[in-house]
Order: sequence, then C-alpha cells, then structure tokens
Amino acid sequence: MPKLVVRNLRKLFGTFEAVKNVSFQVEEKETLCLLGPSGCGKTTILRIIAGLEVPTSGEVLLDGVLVNDLPPQRRQIGLVFQDYAIFPHLSVFENIAYGLRVRKLSEAELTRKVRETASLVDVQSILDAPTKKLGLSEMQRVAIGRSLALDPKLLLLDEPLSNIDAKARERMRTELGKLQKDIGIATVYVTHDQLEAMTLADRIAVMRDGLIEQMGTTSEIYDNPKTLFVANFIGSPSMNLIDCELVYNREEAVLKFGDLALDVTELTQRIEGKGEGRELVLGVRAEDLSLDAKKTNPVAIEAEVQLAEPVGAKSIYHLKMGGVSLLAKGYGMPNIDAGSKVWATFNIDKVHLFDKKTEHAIV
Amino acid sequence: MKTAVRYLLLVVVSVWTLAPVAWMVSLSFKGPTEWYAPNLIPNQPIIDNYVSLFIPTNPIGGSFFFTSITEPITRPLINSLIAAGLGTLLAVMVGFLAAYGVSRYRAGGTFIIFFTLLTRMLPGATFVAPLMVFYASIGFIDTYAALILLYAAVTLTYAIWLMKGFIDEIPPEWEEAALLEGASPWTVLRKVTIPLTKGGLAASALFIFILNWSEFLFALVISVTEVTTLPVQISKYVSAVGRMYGTMASVGLVATIPSLLLGYMIQKHLVTGFTFGRIR
Amino acid sequence: MVGVRLVNVSKKAGKRQILKNVSLEIPDKELFVIAGPPGAGRTTLLKVIAGLISPDAGEVYIGNQMVNTVPPSDRDVGMVFETPPVYPNRTGFQNIAFPLEIKKVSDSQIKEQVQKVAEFLQITHLLDRKPATYSGGELQRVALARVLVRKPRLLLLDEPLKNLDAKIRERTRVELKRLQREFGMTMVFSTHDQLEATAVGDRIAVMKEGMIEQIGAPKEVYNSPKTVFVARFIGSPTMNLAECTLKRKDDRLVLDASDFNVDMTMRAHEMDREAMSQELLLGVRPEDIVLLDSPANTKSFEGEVELTENFGDERVVTVRVGKVSLNCLTGKDRVFKYGQKLHVKFKEEKVHVFHKQTGIAACVTSQM
Repeated sequence: MPKLVVRNLRKLFGTFEAVKNVSFQVEEKETLCLLGPSGCGKTTILRIIAGLEVPTSGEVLLDGVLVNDLPPQRRQIGLVFQDYAIFPHLSVFENIAYGLRVRKLSEAELTRKVRETASLVDVQSILDAPTKKLGLSEMQRVAIGRSLALDPKLLLLDEPLSNIDAKARERMRTELGKLQKDIGIATVYVTHDQLEAMTLADRIAVMRDGLIEQMGTTSEIYDNPKTLFVANFIGSPSMNLIDCELVYNREEAVLKFGDLALDVTELTQRIEGKGEGRELVLGVRAEDLSLDAKKTNPVAIEAEVQLAEPVGAKSIYHLKMGGVSLLAKGYGMPNIDAGSKVWATFNIDKVHLFDKKTEHAIV
Repeated sequence: MKTAVRYLLLVVVSVWTLAPVAWMVSLSFKGPTEWYAPNLIPNQPIIDNYVSLFIPTNPIGGSFFFTSITEPITRPLINSLIAAGLGTLLAVMVGFLAAYGVSRYRAGGTFIIFFTLLTRMLPGATFVAPLMVFYASIGFIDTYAALILLYAAVTLTYAIWLMKGFIDEIPPEWEEAALLEGASPWTVLRKVTIPLTKGGLAASALFIFILNWSEFLFALVISVTEVTTLPVQISKYVSAVGRMYGTMASVGLVATIPSLLLGYMIQKHLVTGFTFGRIR
Repeated sequence: MVGVRLVNVSKKAGKRQILKNVSLEIPDKELFVIAGPPGAGRTTLLKVIAGLISPDAGEVYIGNQMVNTVPPSDRDVGMVFETPPVYPNRTGFQNIAFPLEIKKVSDSQIKEQVQKVAEFLQITHLLDRKPATYSGGELQRVALARVLVRKPRLLLLDEPLKNLDAKIRERTRVELKRLQREFGMTMVFSTHDQLEATAVGDRIAVMKEGMIEQIGAPKEVYNSPKTVFVARFIGSPTMNLAECTLKRKDDRLVLDASDFNVDMTMRAHEMDREAMSQELLLGVRPEDIVLLDSPANTKSFEGEVELTENFGDERVVTVRVGKVSLNCLTGKDRVFKYGQKLHVKFKEEKVHVFHKQTGIAACVTSQM
C-alpha cells in the first residue's frame, strides 16, 4: 500500500488557484521530489500534506487513512523547514528530544530514543554541543533528527539546500542522499533546483502553475520530456529549442530551421506521420551535439563559436549555425575559442520533436 | 461565533475609549445649567463656551462662578505652537543626523542608544528645581528659547531611537551606490535617505509633537506671563470655587486640533512610509 | 577603460584580519573573477577598489593613478551590489537616471541616455513602473542599467547572480559576458560559485580567508591547481583526495595510498625534490577515474559501489576502495547498482600530488 496518496488536490487563495488538480502517490522508502519554478504551487502542496493548509478540495491519505481533518501534530509527519528552524537556546540533545517530551516517556526511554535517532543522522558526537556553533550540514542533520525522533510515517523537506553556497551544497547533497538511503523513510521534498531534484529523488514531479506536467524517474524525465516546459527546465545548460518545419521528400524526412536542413529519416518510424504541416520545435541537448575542429563526419554542419564557457573539464560552446543559435557541451577543445569555426554533428537518436502549439512531444 | 465575540469586544473598547471624548463634545455645547445633566445631546446648545475662549467676558450664569480668566486663548495657543513646533523641528533635525551617525558610522559605540534612553528614565520632577535655578541664572525664565531648547533636548532621545530604526531599514548599499556615482554624503542624505525614510520621519515628528504639545510641568515652571502654553492656561480654568466645565471642554477640544491637523496632513506619508516594504 | 592594481592590501575589522596582503593586477578590458567561499573577503576587496572601504595598508591603483586618497565619488567606478540598489520610491526611469541627475546632466540628455541603455538591456517596459512590481531578474537589470548609463571606466560586480533562479542565472551570465566583450569593459566579478567563475572569467583569483591562493586562466586553475584548496574549490564534483607517500618499488616510482597506488615513473621529473620523505596527498578528479567491470591489469583496483547520483547527462558513482571513497564521473549509458563490485583505474598523467602539511602542490602537472 502506498504510504502517501494525494488525490485531486485543489487550493484557492482568494481567487488565485495555487494548486489546480494534483494527484500522486509515494511508496514506502521512496523519495519524491516536487520540482518547479517559484509560484508553481509546490510548497503549498507540501504544507497541505503537513496539515498547515487546508485544501479547497481533494484528499490526503496516509497509510490508506484519510487525514484531511487531522491537525498537523496528529499526522505523524516530520517537516524540515528551509532554514532548519533549530531552537538556538537548546542543545542538540534537547532539540531532538523536543517533540518526545510531550509523550511523557521516562528519562531512560527518552535518552535511548534520542541517542538512537542521533546515530541515525550521525550527530551522536555533538549531542551536547551548543547549537550556535554548528555548521550547516550538522544543523540540517539535527533538524532531520528532530523530525525523525517521533517515528514519522513521512518526511517532508522544504527546499533543503537552497540557502547554501555552491560548494557546501554539493557536499550536503551527497550527505542527504546517503542519509535517505540509510534511513529509508518515505520522503517528499520541494525544490526549484533541477540538479538537486535529479540527484536526490527516486521520482520527480515537474510542476507548473499548479499542475504536474510530468512525473517519472530522473532518467525518464531527462531522456523523454513530454512537454516543452519540462524539456527546458531539466538539464543544464537548457535544452536547445528551435522552431522548425518537417518536410517529406519522397523517402527522406528533413527538418528545416534557419538556413539548415537536417536529415531525420531514421526517425520517420517514431514520428509516425505526425508533424507534417504543423509548426514544430526541435529539441536537442547541448551534449548531443558533437563538435570537431575538422569535418570528419560527412553530415557535420559548419558553425561559428561565439563564446566558450569552460566548466570543469568540459566547455559550453555558444554556436551560431545557419542563422540559428545553439549550445553545445563537450570536452574542452584546445584552441577553440570565440571566432573559431567548428563542425557540429547532431545525435539524431537523441533528438526531440515537439508540437509548437500543444507543447507536447511527438518524438 | 468567534467573529461575533470579536466585534463585540471591539465595540466595547471603542465605546470605552471614545465615550469621554463624546461627553466632552457634548459638554462644550452646554450651558451651566446642563453641566451636571446626564443627557448627551444638549437641550439648549450654545456656542458661548467657544466664544468666551477668544473673547472672555463674564461667564454665563453671572457671578455665580469666580473666574480669573481675562485673556483670550489665542496667545497661549500660539505660544504652544511655537514651543512645541520648533522644539519638535529641532529634535527631529538633530535626532535624524544623530541617528544616521549611529546607524551608518556606529557613532558613540554600541551602547549609546541605551545611554540616551537612560535620560528618559528619570521623572521630570526630579530636575525641575535645578533646571529652574539654572535657567534663572542665565535669564531664560519666561522665554521661548528656554522652552524650545528644553523640549528638543528631552524628546531628542525618542527622535534618535525612532529614526535609527527607520534608517536601519535602508540597505547601506543603496547609499554606497549613490556615493560611487559622485554624490557627496550630504547629497546622499538629501536624495536617497530622506526620501526613503519620509514615512518614518513623519511618524516620529508626529509622536514627538504630541509629547511636546501636551507637556505641562516644565511649561508651568518656566513660563510666567509671556510664554504660557496651552496646557498651563487650561489649568487656570480650574478655579478655586467651581469648575467651568463647559469652557474646559471647549478649550480641551480646541487644544487637540493642531495635533489632529498635523496627523491628517502627514497621514499620506505615514502610509507610504510603512508600506513600501522590502522588495524580494 | 582602465586596469586595476592592488599592492599588498590588508584590512582588519575588529579582531579579524579580512584581507591579508593581497596583490593582483588586472589589465585593461579583462573580465577578472574573484572566486571563493563566503567569508573569504571578496566583498571587502571589491569595496576597497571602489573606495567604500579604506585599506589599513597597501596601495590601490586604478589606471596608473594611486587612488588611496581619492573618495569613492571621484573614482569613476561602477558597482553592482548583491542587493540591487533600486529605490522603491522612484520609477525605473528615475532610478536609472539617478547618476545623471547627480552629475547635473540636462533633462533632454538624461532622457536620451536612459532610453538607450534601457533598450540595450531590454527593460524599456519597466521605465514607467515602480520596483515593487519587478522580478529578481528585472531588478538586477535596472541596477545594471543604472551603473552602465554613466559609462564608468571600471565595473565591479558583487555576486550579481546570487539571488536569481537557476535558469535565469545561466542566461544572465552569458549576457554579462557578451556585454563585457562587446564594449571592452574592465570587469571585476565576485562569486562563490566556481562554475560561474570558470565559465565567465578571463582570469580567476581563488581566495581563501583573505588571501589569494592562485590566479590564472580557467583552464590553468583547473588543470594545474597550486594548492589543495584551489584543487578542491574549482571543479565539480570535487576532486578526490587520499593520503599517500612516494616510494620506490623495484625500478619504479610509486605513489602509495595503501588501498591503491599510482605509478609516477613517467612523471618523476615533475616531482618536488622534498616529496620523497614527506606525507603527501594524492588528488584525482572524478572524470580521471575509469570504471571497469573486470580488472585491467595490475594497475586497477577493486571497489564497491556506495552511491550513485544521476546528473542527467552524466552519473557520479561513489566507489569505496579499501577505506577510501572515490567519486567517479561516467556517462549516462552505464547502469550501476548499490554494492556492485567493479574496478577503478586512474589516468596517471592527470593525478595531482600535494604536500599534506602545507597543501602546496608537490608536482607540476603539465597543462592539457
């Protein structure tokens, strides 16, 4: 039985529809991420699940039981806020023990439970430390520990990594990932950072304007985005999206954009005749454009490099090709910089086609 | 149900607060015969109570009441305006500059605000006597300067305290940007800080004005005949034999007018000052 | 446009030494990036150049003029702050016109110049509106317009992209670079994000706790880090480090990290002379570790998969070899499972070596 079921959730703030019609399930031990730009409704949904907001309509079920009318403190859900909200005047031990104290456990019981939870999140060595001196990663773990001490059925995290600088974020992302695997509790978290979503979640629900546009595993969403929005939102740098036209020339299928014509005959089966006569959008990720200093591939197209951005061992090249601007990402080529000429080859297998009007994927 | 209780509470509190004011209004239009009557609306409304403020004659009712009021209210009114007005102006101007120094340049160290606040913790009565002696020795008794300087000095603390808060709200980078663009620190104050803290300045000025306007003790002590302020004059309407309730009500109401007027004039700034809020 | 030079600049605030003897030289028309973690002193450094903070010691030169005694209003420097200085009580137009107002430029001139800058940054629709309605990106652009409208000879940017959403950040980064190139502006850009730093900068200065650890072009800083800090700061995922010592085994020179080793015979001439007797750190970037299903030859080591992270176009696999966890970067086409056993092989020519005590590089890695 799924741990959490959210069905037809709708939330109005006055006349503003923050959440339009959202449904999803989270299984035991699964981590689901609600990903989307600011204002898409993801935090509202999280708060509804926690019980901090009342939905206008729709149901929330935990372990099969309807919890709409249950106040937050009775739902057995752990919520970790964006800034961790650790009590600064209490020690680490007391922070974790906080919720347990209401339960009137014996001191021995309480201590045992706190120590158990502390070792789960790896803070057992700093139990007596004053909270003011804690580093970010420790604070995050204490916040999670505090929620876990109450044996929640579900863990909710609100933008867990958004306020941290880049390097620390990398480290804490890995720690959070390890933590999730070790603890194995059903988790839902919310973020606007697509990288965070991809690395931490088992499944991602990409949201826009109060609706889920697509739900799937990281690979599914990355490799097969169903709409233009999802295709553009996931992946860094953003997927190249170019208006184009599909023309059939006897046996051949050709995509025309700018001054160029791209032979996509091998995709004809997948296109299945859709797309003819319609306005289409060609989608190709920067890493699916291979670059070479010389024309080694007969179908390679000439392009001019306008800008080269080194990112680690690779570089992002801003190309101008047949009147169209594209981004390509590949291992840094020596001596290729702004103004150089390169030859670009499309990985036709990885090309996406979208219907411009409906914004849905055809291929 | 909850909202009904809430409204009930609001009504009760409003009535409790405004009832005395309503009574004052009613009293001010009543003749002596009705002063002790319980009706709110006067049966025979008169405006003599207001007129006699400005053109003092024998009070209505003949020589039944003893009164020593022979001057119209206009002089005390003007005196109060001068003393409170200029005192407030001085306090706000000096206070703003001081607050700016404390906020931006950490003038006076971390405890300066606290120390200045200490001065307000002593009741005024404790230093009325030494102040009197000092003022007498420099010939300050019964002068405008004495009142203005005193009022400014006493309310300066509030001015600094209040305005520092408003200045702190403005990110220093906003001023630094102007500096880089060639503005002198004075230009920065003039073109950046003051326009942005207008609301706070208005609110502080109003608060301090009300304090100064209603100040009684020092005005009583310092003034003799020349600079009698309104609160002092009003106290003279309490005579040995009886109380001229009607005129006291009318003069009380007249005394509130400048504060109300000031509040009304700056209310636009009060609103914009408090609602421009933080962006992002 | 002019260059900037700092000579031995130091600054203390209270008890903390914020800048310790910083020296750098930025030629005219360069996009120079100051990169480092929060608290490294980047903002203070920029403010010293701008004249908003006076250094305790050292000289600041803008162009060829020493400007230590020149007030900020006379330095002709533009600065974009982390919190964009956009006044809420003025419209977009009035905000951008502000610097021209101070210079007492005529009204008609103001109108013309503001219009030009607004068109250029595509914010003409914001001119009549007040900032309360702007988005984060729009605020930054208005702040930028305000700085550009008076054509300063030097542009300083303090974490200009920090408060923007990830996607907008990418776009704005490129725009700033294009702007800089097109107008040949001398720009000093501060950031904590190493990816931004390498993507945008002509040269980067990596700062740590008030000192500059290394200055160089992005490729140089990436391929030849001079200290452990730089090696770990630049590059994501972070470089793997393992303790090791340099030993002679038979005829070969080997870096021994107990759980694995790397043959350095071919690079013996690059090694520091003192390296033999000291505790060292072996550094290898995730993309320089090759993952194999079966052992290659004597140069591969067995390990177990601890964690896998999906980055879309790549995967990061954490492999535990003995007591050490190594992050390895691979393509998306391979699938790895928890606990799976595989073999790691190092690209020997890409391995870095550092002295453990000082953190300084113990060998010279040739630039690729």
